[in-house]
Amino acid sequence: MRVAQLTKSATDTQPLVLTKKSSFFNKSNITGWLFALPWIIGLIIFYVFPLGSSIYFSFTTYSILQPGEFVGLDNYKELFKDKIFWISIYNTVYFAVFFVPLSIIFGVSLAMLLNMKVKGMALYRTIFFLPTLVPHVALAVLWMWLLNPGFGLVNGMLDMIGIQGPAWLGSETWSKPSLILMSLWGIGQAVIIYLAGFGDIPEEFYEAAEVDGANWFQKTFYVTLPLLTPVIFFNLVMGTIGAFQQFTLPYTMTNGQGTPANSLTFYVMYLYDNGFKFFKMGYASAMAWILFVIIMALTAVIFLTSKRWVHYQGK
Amino acid sequence: MSKSVKKFGQLMVISILALSLFLAGCSKDQASGGNKGGGKDGKTEVTFWHGMTDITLNGLEEVIKEFEAKNPDIKIKAVYSAGGTDTDEKLLTAIAGGNPPDITYFDRFNIGSWASQGSLEDISEYAANSGITQDSYYPFAWEEASYKGKLYGIPTTTDSRLLFYNKDLFTEVGLDPENPPKTIDELTAAAEKLTIKDGNRFKRIGFIPWYGQGQLYTWGWVFGGEFYDKSTDKVTLNDPKIVEALQWLTDYANKYNIENIASFTDSQGSGDMDPFLTGQLAMQISGPWTVSSIQKYKPDLNYGVTPIPTPTGTDFQTWSGGWSIVMPKGAKNKDAAWKFMEFFGSPEGQKIFSGIVRDFSVIESVNADLGFTEDPILKEFTAILPVSHYRPVIPEGNLLWNEQTAAVEKATRGKGTPQEILDEATDKVNKALEKKQ
Amino acid sequence: MQAGVKKKFQITIAHLVLIVASIFFVIPFVWLVSTSLKPLTQIFTFPPEWIPRPFQWDNYVRATEYIPFFTYLKNTVVITVISTLGVVLTCPLVAYSFAKLRWKGRNVLFVVTIAVMMIPGQVTMIPLFLIFNKMGWVGTPLPLIVPAFFGVPFSIFLMRQFFMGLPDTLRDAAKIDGAGEFRIYWQIMVPLARPAILAIGLFQFMGAWTDFLGPLLYLTDEHQYTMSLGLQQFQNQKGTEWGLMMAVSTMMTLPIIVMFFFMQRTFIQGITFSGIK
Repeated sequence: MRVAQLTKSATDTQPLVLTKKSSFFNKSNITGWLFALPWIIGLIIFYVFPLGSSIYFSFTTYSILQPGEFVGLDNYKELFKDKIFWISIYNTVYFAVFFVPLSIIFGVSLAMLLNMKVKGMALYRTIFFLPTLVPHVALAVLWMWLLNPGFGLVNGMLDMIGIQGPAWLGSETWSKPSLILMSLWGIGQAVIIYLAGFGDIPEEFYEAAEVDGANWFQKTFYVTLPLLTPVIFFNLVMGTIGAFQQFTLPYTMTNGQGTPANSLTFYVMYLYDNGFKFFKMGYASAMAWILFVIIMALTAVIFLTSKRWVHYQGK
Repeated sequence: MSKSVKKFGQLMVISILALSLFLAGCSKDQASGGNKGGGKDGKTEVTFWHGMTDITLNGLEEVIKEFEAKNPDIKIKAVYSAGGTDTDEKLLTAIAGGNPPDITYFDRFNIGSWASQGSLEDISEYAANSGITQDSYYPFAWEEASYKGKLYGIPTTTDSRLLFYNKDLFTEVGLDPENPPKTIDELTAAAEKLTIKDGNRFKRIGFIPWYGQGQLYTWGWVFGGEFYDKSTDKVTLNDPKIVEALQWLTDYANKYNIENIASFTDSQGSGDMDPFLTGQLAMQISGPWTVSSIQKYKPDLNYGVTPIPTPTGTDFQTWSGGWSIVMPKGAKNKDAAWKFMEFFGSPEGQKIFSGIVRDFSVIESVNADLGFTEDPILKEFTAILPVSHYRPVIPEGNLLWNEQTAAVEKATRGKGTPQEILDEATDKVNKALEKKQ
Repeated sequence: MQAGVKKKFQITIAHLVLIVASIFFVIPFVWLVSTSLKPLTQIFTFPPEWIPRPFQWDNYVRATEYIPFFTYLKNTVVITVISTLGVVLTCPLVAYSFAKLRWKGRNVLFVVTIAVMMIPGQVTMIPLFLIFNKMGWVGTPLPLIVPAFFGVPFSIFLMRQFFMGLPDTLRDAAKIDGAGEFRIYWQIMVPLARPAILAIGLFQFMGAWTDFLGPLLYLTDEHQYTMSLGLQQFQNQKGTEWGLMMAVSTMMTLPIIVMFFFMQRTFIQGITFSGIK
């Protein structure tokens, strides 16, 4: 493929400077560490200590106000017997499984549309970005209003084409899909990242493709998408992490209750209640670390498969 | 050094300079805004956290003004705290970090669980020395502010729950507006008459038992049950009368089809969007704040209030919640802080606050003084206060609350029989209680 | 011309799709602004009204009086701007190190960087608070600003992806010319990564601008409060002042919209290697 050849030929020139790889204190190691130093410090102070503490807490009955006692793996054992724990996992996985792919597909498609060099794009781009600026409280109220089965716009429009809309947020089957729909309104942020990613693609590649006689379709699939994969990878990982940590919107809408019938009880909601309402921060910490393992496993899969489909221009 | 490193270095230096200026500015702020006992001009400064705004804040400011006039050596620093009432992360972290406010406004309901965590100061001695006893307040207010026989807070406001009904709609369907339902059967019958259905949608609903203040707590007590056995220190959510109440709620849900009702109540939110005000809901259980809402948004609504109907038509019940002031563990200026608590809870302080805010006082005589016992609507609320229930004071207050809410949700959605659901909930809460022993 | 017609057709379709989608996406914002101009009684009417009658501009004035609007605004601006500066300075530097430099432990550290994002903040916020408490920073805005100068995983990860997407040839060529690592970074890589740097700047800005939990926990004096805390003051036991709250929220979106508009120009530009020497 022409494009692949282009990149390959670009990296064929060997650097003339040889670097010693044997000692740790060689120049490239020091430079690397130096550049990364601010983050290493930040990581240790602001992340490692709190994370370490929370692992410790997960083995105790810590309640924030009381240190509690050491109980070993009891919290974890109890979690596995906790009905709501499993319900919350189900709800969260359901949400992630549907939301993440949808957000990527819609996000990339939208970004491609918005990347066209056509007049008025600036306005469109701003419009798609707007929902991310609306405070969660407002979004929650607005959506509950739009999705109201009685007089909401959504059912009103469905009515016009003869469909009787469901009870949306009041229905056990439709509450999660409603939430997924609401969350898709926030893809503006991902779209910006894609747009910035388009900026990474050199014009030369498009020109070369055009010389080859590629049409829009081919240009998209052989130039744009492959070179967008580093950024798609980012949104995939962050999207997964975010989906599993879904909290604010459903908590605000259901007042923390996860109604109807716990169909909107998400993992972090239950975690939060345990930690801050029921004085079981140790239990909540155990939940956090189980979540960590789950997300880590999924991300590892994404990373491992990434070698196949992510193309970094540099290499 | 290469030019770009220099440039970057310059940028970094500027940022660090900016940061240090900032730091300097901040530490100054910290020093002046400190919580020290000695304070400035020899006054003791007491930090008081609260979540009040608007008219409630006005009430607070008047109380503080009067207090400071009487206590020239104490200054009350009132700080607005945006922390939630059930999950006050701000207060939690402050206490955990050893830097709590001296006193804070607090939902009385949470006193039991926070006290059990050792996070509140025991003020029993202060109270005894000041002559404040159980008789100083409504019984439920005192009980709710105490844990294991010790007092942890001074109650400040309270409320109660009654059945609101739309008199005009009553007349419309042929019910006597001056003779509201007294028994559950009458209530159910009236609700049916007042309901107008349009296919699958409701144009008007007569009554939704679990809407507004119709929690299981409410119905459990109304049906004659008890939620907590003090002697065994066990929760009794599966008390037969409570099971009966839940069964009634479930039957009601089945009769009208829960999803259609849920769609009616969703997004109706609080106060502003109350369907009772728009006439879409003919009756509801609520508290005195709805009275203010109606005055504000629909002053011409022709309504009445009556005690919540019971199975027998006698022995009316209700329950009350309300606010209080507590002293977190680790408070620095206890003596001065106590003086303010005492004042706020005294008839004088109560009169100032409730007079402005129009919430009920926790002292009967003050409510009488303010005319609450004469206003045709409000007097119904105050009349029932002396026999009002209060939610069990246990370390698992929030868990119990969640469970009784979830129980209604589960039962009305057909996730098991009321007995099963309540048995399970009772077990769950009692297990958690045992652990806290 | 066949090709011309085809292109026009494609553009028209694109416009149509965009217009339909825009109508959906613009709804939340329209509702926000519409609510901000209504009196309380008109906000939750049934059936819903989208156009305020009359336009209550008064809400905007009253909102600035209901809370210490300008104090909160000043505090929010200071905290947001400085923390954004911190992120924009530090994160690309660190990310470049992950992307282009070779050093021992790099990959492990990168995995750790992403891993720390997998723990929900709800459990780390308490120990983190206690750390700041010990440092004496509670009661100051420092916990909201200083960490930004030490890197934010989200931004580092994003910048790393971008840098990885830049060809190594540039670096190799510059090295042959005798340039040091930092010079390569500062003079070549950073300008190329401008869209990404703007993006992380924007996100950090938005995050700090609307952050609620941070200011809630760390600011103890009303004079230091930020707008997100101020917004809470519109909700109280007696009900919520929706109109005023939405007015403030609308005002708070304006700077971000302006920033975004200007940012877009950079995105359009794309990069051409011919222009680099």
